[in-house]
Amino acid sequence: MQSLNKKKKIFIGTSLVIPMLLLIGFVVVPAIDLFRMSFIEWDGYSPDTRFVGVSNYISMFKNKDLWLSLKNNSVYFFVHFFMIFFELGFAVLLNSKIKGAKFYKTMVFLPYIINGVAIAYAFSYFYSPINGAFNSILELLQLESWIRSWLSDPKIVNYVLASVSVWRFSGYHVILFLAALQSIPKDIEEAAKVDGANGWHLFRYIQIPGIMLMVDFVLFDNIRGALQVFDIPFVMTAGGPGYASSTFTLYTIKTAFSFSNFGLASTMAIAIMFMIVIIYIIQNNIIHKVLFKDRGQKND
Amino acid sequence: MIKRLLGQFVKQLICIVMVMVVLAPIVLTLFAALKTRGDMASTSPLWLPEVQRITLENFRQVLNDKYLYIGFKNTGFILVMSLIFNVLFGTITAYVIERFNFRGKKVVVGLFFLGMLIPTFVTEIARFKIIQGLGLYNTIGAPIVIYVASDLMQLYIYRQFISRIPVALDEAALIDGCSYFKLFGQIIFPLLAPATATVCIIKSIIIINDMYIPYLYMPKNSLRTLTTYLMNFANAQQGSWQVLAAGIIVVMVPTIILYIFFQKYILSGVAAGAVKE
Repeated sequence: MQSLNKKKKIFIGTSLVIPMLLLIGFVVVPAIDLFRMSFIEWDGYSPDTRFVGVSNYISMFKNKDLWLSLKNNSVYFFVHFFMIFFELGFAVLLNSKIKGAKFYKTMVFLPYIINGVAIAYAFSYFYSPINGAFNSILELLQLESWIRSWLSDPKIVNYVLASVSVWRFSGYHVILFLAALQSIPKDIEEAAKVDGANGWHLFRYIQIPGIMLMVDFVLFDNIRGALQVFDIPFVMTAGGPGYASSTFTLYTIKTAFSFSNFGLASTMAIAIMFMIVIIYIIQNNIIHKVLFKDRGQKND
Repeated sequence: MIKRLLGQFVKQLICIVMVMVVLAPIVLTLFAALKTRGDMASTSPLWLPEVQRITLENFRQVLNDKYLYIGFKNTGFILVMSLIFNVLFGTITAYVIERFNFRGKKVVVGLFFLGMLIPTFVTEIARFKIIQGLGLYNTIGAPIVIYVASDLMQLYIYRQFISRIPVALDEAALIDGCSYFKLFGQIIFPLLAPATATVCIIKSIIIINDMYIPYLYMPKNSLRTLTTYLMNFANAQQGSWQVLAAGIIVVMVPTIILYIFFQKYILSGVAAGAVKE
């Protein structure tokens, strides 16, 4: 028995040593290092660094462009939040008796698997001011007066970019909702129908409570995703004009790799992590209570 | 009866609108890719030119670009290496965590959970220095090591799967004198094949489509991936939308093909990867 135990230890040790080294070296250490770097001034390559205390934190809070960027993140959040209702409705639709449901399911998820950079360029073309397809569609609908410089008007550029984000990610949420709806046992729905429940009753009293865990996940995913929007504005507008379509992550990355201010960028990275953790805690304590209140207890 | 027909009609209508919204940007890009420079200006972006004026010249230009093949080759190599190590480390880590109790297990699980919570893009600010220190900057090793070390969704998929394999199987093998390594390699690992298929397909799509890691760590021309190839190509084609459009379509093709063949795994995998509680 002693030898079996020893063999077991050897097995566990050899199995975990490389994955743990990789995790510590490339994930845990960088995360801790970000915290250390947030208190120094460093250009990213020279050997000399200077401890500056909390001055990076002070300049972060005073940075107007960063606040503007964070405000732009909120556009993505609200637009996606608004879309959740449609995504939910669409998932219910696909879950109902409908011809071609399989094909529609395939189509709705298609944008999610396509190369994001290719999509960003395709939409740059779609919204382009010269011979752009979107303007042609408006002309076709006799709505010429609606035509704008979609990607260079600071007032609307974030909504335009958010629409690309919606195009790309909504299908993911629909598929998640659909998977949750399909996991509700069919006999419960049948029994309710026998008892005279109509479509709305089914939705309100069986389907919605049945997929609350997924709604919960999608809400968190939405907040986390909105805080980390990066590649769509990076490719389509580079955050411009000015900082009109910059986002928190985009600004952070620029601060490090374009402005060579790794200390300040680390401070911003810590701020993002802090926000995500705070939101996670709020979600687990407050939103859960609201979402699950009419169930009495949380299902596992 | 009429009510049901009407209901079905409305449902179909909504779905067809969805399909059009999904396909519009792709199809319109394809239209542009089939036009000459002159027709780009003179024809509507919403439709093709006359059949005899359709041109494949733009695709020819893209397919003659040697960097496209370099991109394919690099993406392919990064993909294969990352998948091998992801599957190897993912299966064994999930197996050990799921089946054994050992000192420090809580710390191990906690670290992996932390790894999931840390935001991806901004971590590169600190990771950059480590990659540079190891001499991996501007080598193909950089993305491989990052793809293997970070993004740990495979652990959840494997853990779920392993928890459904009866422990009695392990016990029987051990009583028969099977070593732990043999038990894992010859009995458990093959049983995980369906989960491995899901992990490989989903990871493939994430890795093929990733822009940021190769952009940041491999600026060298000979290390372009499919995605950074497209970014370089786009910068060179300022104003020639028809040529860029052909590039966009070509870069879209690999994951669309994967999706067509493996959508069952993809659709079930994303749902399994999401609900971690």
